[in-house]
Amino acid sequence: MNDLLLKELDITNFRSIRGQVHVPLDANVVLVHGENGAGKTSLLSAIELGLTGGIQSLLRADPNYSRQLLHRSTRLGNVTVKTIGPDGEQRYEALVDETGARSVTALERQFAAFFGERTYLPQSLLGQLLQIYQESASDANSPLAKFVGDLLGLDRLDAIEVGLKPLADVRNVRKVAEGWSEAEIEKSRLDKLVEDQSRVRAEVVTTIGATIKELFRVCKQLEVSVDVDEETLADVTVELSGNEDEERFDRLTDQRRRLASIKRELATSDSDVIQNSALSANGVAEASSAYTSWESEYGARISALRSRVEKLLPLASLSNDYASFAEEARTLLQSERKRLADQAEQARLDIERLTKARGELEVSLRQQATIDEEISRLPTSAGSLGAVLSEISSYIDGEICPICDRDFVELECGSLAKHVQEKVGRLSASAERLLALGRSRSEQQVTVERLEREIEALEARVIDAKSLADIDRQAADFNQAALELDELAATLAEGSRLRTKDIAARRAVSERHSRDIARAAARETLNEFALTLGAAEIAEEETFEAAASRLERFLLSETTHLQERLTLRRKGIDLITTISSNLARRAEIETTIAHYKELWQLADDALQRGQTLREHGNRIRKAVDRVRSSIIRREFNDRLNRVWRDLFVRLAPSEPFVPAFRIPEVSTQRLQPKLITEYRDSGERGGTPGAMLSTGNLNTAALTLFIALHLSVPKTLPWLIFDDPVQSMDDMHITHFASLLRTLSKEHGRQVVISVHDRQLFEYLRLELSPAFVDDSLLTLELTRRAQRDTLCVSERLGFKEETALRMVA
Amino acid sequence: MSDSPLVNAILGRLHEAGYRDLAAPFQVATVEFEFTAALLGTDGRALDLVLVVDTTTGEYGDRDSARVRQRVEALGRALDVTESRYVVTVILAGAPLGKEMEFLAESCRVLHVDGIPLDPEGEMENEAARNQLEDRIRVLLPLTLPSPLAVMEDGSGPAMEQLVRALPGGVDKTLLAAVTRASQEGEQAVTEAMASVLGAALEMEEGP
Repeated sequence: MNDLLLKELDITNFRSIRGQVHVPLDANVVLVHGENGAGKTSLLSAIELGLTGGIQSLLRADPNYSRQLLHRSTRLGNVTVKTIGPDGEQRYEALVDETGARSVTALERQFAAFFGERTYLPQSLLGQLLQIYQESASDANSPLAKFVGDLLGLDRLDAIEVGLKPLADVRNVRKVAEGWSEAEIEKSRLDKLVEDQSRVRAEVVTTIGATIKELFRVCKQLEVSVDVDEETLADVTVELSGNEDEERFDRLTDQRRRLASIKRELATSDSDVIQNSALSANGVAEASSAYTSWESEYGARISALRSRVEKLLPLASLSNDYASFAEEARTLLQSERKRLADQAEQARLDIERLTKARGELEVSLRQQATIDEEISRLPTSAGSLGAVLSEISSYIDGEICPICDRDFVELECGSLAKHVQEKVGRLSASAERLLALGRSRSEQQVTVERLEREIEALEARVIDAKSLADIDRQAADFNQAALELDELAATLAEGSRLRTKDIAARRAVSERHSRDIARAAARETLNEFALTLGAAEIAEEETFEAAASRLERFLLSETTHLQERLTLRRKGIDLITTISSNLARRAEIETTIAHYKELWQLADDALQRGQTLREHGNRIRKAVDRVRSSIIRREFNDRLNRVWRDLFVRLAPSEPFVPAFRIPEVSTQRLQPKLITEYRDSGERGGTPGAMLSTGNLNTAALTLFIALHLSVPKTLPWLIFDDPVQSMDDMHITHFASLLRTLSKEHGRQVVISVHDRQLFEYLRLELSPAFVDDSLLTLELTRRAQRDTLCVSERLGFKEETALRMVA
Repeated sequence: MSDSPLVNAILGRLHEAGYRDLAAPFQVATVEFEFTAALLGTDGRALDLVLVVDTTTGEYGDRDSARVRQRVEALGRALDVTESRYVVTVILAGAPLGKEMEFLAESCRVLHVDGIPLDPEGEMENEAARNQLEDRIRVLLPLTLPSPLAVMEDGSGPAMEQLVRALPGGVDKTLLAAVTRASQEGEQAVTEAMASVLGAALEMEEGP
């Protein structure tokens, strides 16, 4: 046998067992018999104490049970359990004294728990079992929950379920998952930024729209036929930049200037006319007649005078104007007359001078002859001799002549030096005289020559007396004419005035005439101009000024119109600039938004990934829930209920109702099975076991539930220990139960320990559980309690024995 | 063999369970016994002696409760005499025989099979019928325990396996693996594993 087996048990002074008892247990079935109070329960609970260090059933009844464990007349007890299995022999021990029990060595906790719940069925538990399972079904720590946990290892599912729970609520996710909050914050930050930028963008777009609308209006006003939208801005710019309006404006400026010039010209000529406009038509006639009458009166005389004067002054060009003529003629006549007078005067003076010059010449010639005569008398050398002598005088020393070396004393006429001095003196006086004479002669000579030239000139110039008389006569003629002019001066002046007036009158008439022509021309020009401008023709009745002013107004309005157009064009260009800059701004914002969106996308992707994982986590959680509930349902329905039913039917084959756990269909985390009964053959649901089953069958139900629970979990400890479980069973049940024990022992390798108090039953079981094959074994223990003496335990081991009772009848 | 479909059905089921027919009549302590059918178990049930009584059409006084009791008690005494350890089970196939049978239970195990829907050959009409039959003689049949729970290679147990199966497709494998791995360390470890996977996924990659 490979399985773990209870080997033996030693008990000293434990509960109702007094003294030391050795109990062999190493058999497939251990059958314990004893009268009531013999210590059967003590023996079985001793196994639990030894293995686990405690006794569950007693704990349920009394928390302080451990003080009652020591046999009452003793002071120290102990329990030792030995097991034998694949790992060899194990020893478990617990000490018992008045204060309680103390475990020395015990099974590991999980095995101990298994023992307490799945292996040992104390009598007290049997009655409570159903109730326990019925009442505490929904408790997380209920026996059922433990059962399920043990059965399925659902703790890992629970760990996943609870561990993933934070995923359910995003607030908890934020707490546990690093980066979740960050991504969310980043996302909302970017959301805000994008929103802000989008708002700005919307504003810009609105501005662009409004500006384009305005531009459209401008274009419409300008009658520019071009689509106005974002794409056609360049075309619009080209259209608006066209300079036809400017050219027109320039042309208009020229036209205005021209109009102004036309007006100015007209104004100038008008002003001239206006000055003379005093002259009336009457005035013209008057002036003409006055002049005519004056001319008829004085014309002939003046004409004669004029002829005479012109004769006198053939070379002069005299004015036709009377007044100027008089003036000019008088001036000329007088100057001519003076010239003639002067000529006559000069002729007379010349004649006189000639006579006088001839006389002077004669005198001079005589004086010259006198001087020549004196000069001829004076030595010509006196001067140079005097100079020599003067030089020699410096060499005179004493009276010796330096030339002839004679002694001047000899002559006795004074000193030589004095003599020479006197001689030099004389000589130099002659020389001076000579010089003076020479000068005088030269002067005389000049005079002679001048006079001769004068005379010659005078002789050539001198006119004869006749000529002189002619000149005089001529001068007289001039004088005569001049006098006559003086006399007529006033008349001439009058004539001149009248004539001037007449002429002026005539001219004025002529000028008016020509001005009228000019005005007509100007009007024509203006008309043409108007037509050029495209303005209305100048009407007959319209004055030039009115027309000009009308044209001016026309031009002005044109100008205004063009100015408006130009302003509009400028405005349009400005608008386009605004639009362009706003478009650029929009593009910039869009780039920014795109950038933000990229970042947003990153955060969102991260969150999406997180969210996906979160969903997956939640799916896992849900799957856990689902799996767990399906596992639980299946375990209850397919395993526990099935085994339980099988066992129950074995023991109560005639009972039409079988007990079962019913799992609500609703998937629930909490395990809430209900105890019910089902009709055995049809599976129809009946009432609760308490209502449907007899007491005996209720007992059977509890007993089989215990075994079913044991069988449904993995074979941790292959032991089943029953403390007198058949007390309220009838005979039929007992035989079936015996068969079941055999099945458990012989087919499922459970070591079965069972105590019974009924002797007959004991015998029956001994028979029923007899070894059926070679390795099979059965131990019977007979417990006897004796007054004042130690408890006695007698064991008997029954081996396999070949059965020979049956003989076939050949 | 009996003509009774019910008896045949019972025998068929017992044969399935490893019982073999005991040639009749047989002798115990020189007394000869004859029953509609007698079977012996094998192995752990080697001491099971099963007698079938056809209360409907049976011979050997099967239809008479007193005679049935007589015979069974005689067999019991004979076995006692030979100190045999055989445990006798009487299966009453067919209509109940009345009060007499309750006394029979004192000396042996009595099972009563009745009202099973069968065809004339003794074949069960359906699974329910088979179940009904088995329920009546279950104590003689082997106890079939649910198959032991499969344990996965990583020791995660059937629950994990089922969890993986139950998950909808496309659940993140990294997360599942991390969570499954951590589940043996407890819920805190699961939370941490989940947080770690989530944290890794949340890391924002900077665009190029």
